[in-house]
Amino acid sequence: MTTSELQKLLESFHPLEHKVLLSFDREGALSASDILTRSGLDESRLDMASGWLQSKGLLDVKDESVTSLVSLTEAGKEYLQKGTPEMRIINALKEGKQFTVKDIIQSWGMDPSEVSSAVGALKEDNAVRIVQGGVLEDTIGLVLVLPSYESIGKLLRAVSEGEPADLASFPADQRAAIQANFHKRGKSKGIFRITEKKNRSYTLTDDGKELLRLIKERGVVTEEASALTPEMLKQGTWKNKKFRAYNIALNPPRQSIGRKHPYKEFLDFVKYKFIGMGFEEMRGPLVESEFWDMDALFMPQFHPARNIHDVYFVKNPIAAKEIEEPFGKRVAAAHKDGGKTGSTGWRYAFDLDRAKRLILRSQGTAVSARTLASGPKIPGKYFSIARCFRYDAVDATHAPDFYQVEGIVLGAYINFKTLLGLLKLFGQEIAKAGEFQFRPAYFPFTEPSVELHVKHPELGWMELGGAGIFRPEVTKPLGVDVPVIAWGLGLDRMAMVALGIQDIRDLFSRDLDFVRTKKIQLNK
Amino acid sequence: MPTIDIKKHDLDGLIGKKLSLSALEKHLMLAKAELKEYIEETDDLKVELSDSNRPDLWSAEGIARQIRIALSGKPEVYDFFKHGRKATREIRVSKAMKSVRPYIAACTASGIRMNDDVLTQMIQSQDKLAEIFGRKRTTVSIGIYELDRIMFPVDYRLAEPSSLSFIPLGMEEKLTLAEILERHPKGIAYGGIVKPFPQYPVLIDSMGHVLSFPPIINSREIGEVKPQTRNVLIEVTGTDLRMTMLTLNILAVSFYDRGAELEPVKVTYPYSTEFGKVVAFPVNTAGKFKVPLATFSAGLGENVALTDVKKRLESYGHIVSAARGQVAVTVAPYRDDIMHPMDLVEDYAISRGYDSFEPVMPQQSTVGSLSRLELLSDTIRGHLVGSGFQEIMSNILCSREELEDSLQPGEQLVEVDNVMSLAYSVLRHRVIPSLLNVEAVSSKAFYPHRIFEAGEVAVFDQSAIMGSRTDLNLAALISHPGANFSEMHSSLDVLLYYLGLEYKLEPSGHALFIPGRCGKIIAADAELGFIGEVRPELLERRQIAMPCAAFEITLNGALRLLIKN
Repeated sequence: MTTSELQKLLESFHPLEHKVLLSFDREGALSASDILTRSGLDESRLDMASGWLQSKGLLDVKDESVTSLVSLTEAGKEYLQKGTPEMRIINALKEGKQFTVKDIIQSWGMDPSEVSSAVGALKEDNAVRIVQGGVLEDTIGLVLVLPSYESIGKLLRAVSEGEPADLASFPADQRAAIQANFHKRGKSKGIFRITEKKNRSYTLTDDGKELLRLIKERGVVTEEASALTPEMLKQGTWKNKKFRAYNIALNPPRQSIGRKHPYKEFLDFVKYKFIGMGFEEMRGPLVESEFWDMDALFMPQFHPARNIHDVYFVKNPIAAKEIEEPFGKRVAAAHKDGGKTGSTGWRYAFDLDRAKRLILRSQGTAVSARTLASGPKIPGKYFSIARCFRYDAVDATHAPDFYQVEGIVLGAYINFKTLLGLLKLFGQEIAKAGEFQFRPAYFPFTEPSVELHVKHPELGWMELGGAGIFRPEVTKPLGVDVPVIAWGLGLDRMAMVALGIQDIRDLFSRDLDFVRTKKIQLNK
Repeated sequence: MPTIDIKKHDLDGLIGKKLSLSALEKHLMLAKAELKEYIEETDDLKVELSDSNRPDLWSAEGIARQIRIALSGKPEVYDFFKHGRKATREIRVSKAMKSVRPYIAACTASGIRMNDDVLTQMIQSQDKLAEIFGRKRTTVSIGIYELDRIMFPVDYRLAEPSSLSFIPLGMEEKLTLAEILERHPKGIAYGGIVKPFPQYPVLIDSMGHVLSFPPIINSREIGEVKPQTRNVLIEVTGTDLRMTMLTLNILAVSFYDRGAELEPVKVTYPYSTEFGKVVAFPVNTAGKFKVPLATFSAGLGENVALTDVKKRLESYGHIVSAARGQVAVTVAPYRDDIMHPMDLVEDYAISRGYDSFEPVMPQQSTVGSLSRLELLSDTIRGHLVGSGFQEIMSNILCSREELEDSLQPGEQLVEVDNVMSLAYSVLRHRVIPSLLNVEAVSSKAFYPHRIFEAGEVAVFDQSAIMGSRTDLNLAALISHPGANFSEMHSSLDVLLYYLGLEYKLEPSGHALFIPGRCGKIIAADAELGFIGEVRPELLERRQIAMPCAAFEITLNGALRLLIKN
């Protein structure tokens, strides 16, 4: 590596790497334990840092040796405290006690297999024998073997003091004893545990040595800081610090933030557009009477025009207590023979009970009807974003409930041409459309009626909405004598494109991850 | 609204001119129709009609007529409505029909040049009129018969369901009326219309041969129109006289357009009708209107000439005379949708073409604004988003199961009567259950969860005119291993502080919350809502394995307090 490459490497050096590198003299190898002592690191950090240094070609493993370390097992610790089973038996015999194997098991609290193996060993060494009645008795041979039993006790002490002790540091006979008691009794009952430990020694590569030289040459910075702390600022110690460069290519951790719902963000955009165009917001109830949802809109009670959509009926109560007058009477007259609207009417007997039937609001126009009846401003412009319900099987294109964006414009100078002008304005403002097509359409409550088709920048030609001038049969009974534009926009498709979804039900998704991550592309 | 199939060559033949597809698409606007599809190999057009009030357009003949008149600029005159001769054929209505299916209208068409196209259109037209205009045959149904097999007079009367029998169309054997309702596909489909009555309607000729069992099925013997049929009886029965007559007129005009000779049939009623007791059908029910030119100018937003109005209305099918600043319009006999002068203003605009009108931007100046409730909601939404809450939007129509365990004693829900699916059978009465729905499916979304929704709910209220009221509620919910009352309380506290609402919490019990860890939110003696740690039973039922705390307040209530302050 060139010096500049090494310099660059040094920029992003981790403090741990510094510490490891600085524990080397220029020559010679260092064992891991030496590095631990010199650097003050613990083993896991040394492993980490030496790994990094090796991958950067700065450090080599020179030598790998294995050390066997001895420690006491649980049984070993117990024997250290109470004595080995053999010594406990020998000591008891020396004290002149009389007992059987059964007595040992029952009253000394020792494991039967432990007792039988201890008694077995002593018998084999001719240190004890069993006389009549199963009673144990010491023999002359005991004196000969006693030192070897006592030495186990000493060994236990020795190991426990040096724990974990290097097996190689014990004299040959003790090593043999340790190994015998490690092997002979098996892992569970063994009194010594031998674990193997790899010990490495490291040398610096030529690049490593050069880098060390560079570090020493630079000399000034003895400590690299990972973060600026309030203390550093208070005490001015930051002046002597070098701040390690970060790897900024890493992914940041995820954050949970507060956020508007993406569909609501879309609807807010629409809402602010309407305020900008001078529209006042209107609201209405979710549960409507057929009167406000349909009759007031001159949809005849027993005519196919009413079948345009099917509705959800309310179970309890099934009917509104009353229809607000004089609207009930006037609307009934408009249906029957036109009343005072200049119309022939639908020529049937209007059923007031049917009008009272409660339903879930099926169209946003119900809100417009209520506004007309409430003494609206003239001239006036109103809009609503109203939740509506249709009796349709729910699937990817039919939601159980959905928003309709609807409204009215009232004024003495409202006519067909201003209707087209308003729709053009909507197309420009809301769909950013440059091209328009107006097509004849049918709505039971408007005449003339028109459909607005626009060329959306992404969707191509699409139907943006329907509109018309409210029939006099609608406005007059509700007390409005000027022409009124009624309009409705179909924005769900635009919303779905802005959200990048195919299933309309996803507009009201319950999946928090989905809601958190969906972005909205607003064609502002 | 109906979508109909037409062979393009048939349509061209009826129009009298071969139209390019693009010209056809443009002309279809005259009929408020849209070309959905054209398959060149089979010459099939699929056309969607949008005007439910113009059933005359739901056939090849009807669409062709509207275009043909526009091309010629002249309305077509249907002379057969002026009966030169007295009707020789008679249908006698029995008294009992009045309470079952009171009206019948009929005429004959002869010299029909029958072919596959004619037959197809005849069947389709019959079907669309009865299904959509006739509301699945309830208000109007149609029968067409081989005229030469009928011996007049024909009786329209009631018969015993189990005694009268005939071979219905599509079957090989004689069935009684009752058996038809049980076994014939049409009987199964439409039987509901007659079942409430002890006796069923039939048409029987003087020889005792059954023509049909209206509105269910024709007899195979008389009521089957074949490719070789030349002369037919057209009959319409219904519950509304005007709709019955209009349906007959539409069919009659279509046969006439195809070159048939039309003759009237006299119907004798034992009860009076709007048109008398003895009526020779078809009857021209067309309305006559006198409309000042000013109505057109004002409605359209530009000054139009009287001659122009006359010309445009004529080329839309009306018979028009113009004099002294007004037009006198006689509506075509196949239309019954002109109720107000504004309908004629629209006809003028369609006839002239919507694209010939220059859009005028509305100039009136008005002040845009949000309702105070929406403003409050937006303020709160902004606040909660700033406090790290994710906004949620939920369906309002949901299942009872989702709401049941959050109902307080005595609390009721607004329920749907005609339930289609239990999943969508009640309106939510509060928002927290919607937030729990989110938690139920979002255990994989990394924690903490801090969510809220400001949304509408329907509150059952026996005293309200509508039996319920719509409220705007705000609910917030937190969920993570340490989610608790105190953290939720902090969020509520800081929210109400910035809204300027002083409040206190009153210990209380709630179906949603762990007893002893729930409070009513009281502001100026009004109950705004409640707060607490969600009961583990509720969480377990929804398989939510994370503690949740939540609060919900009424924004209508909050607004009332803010206005008072």
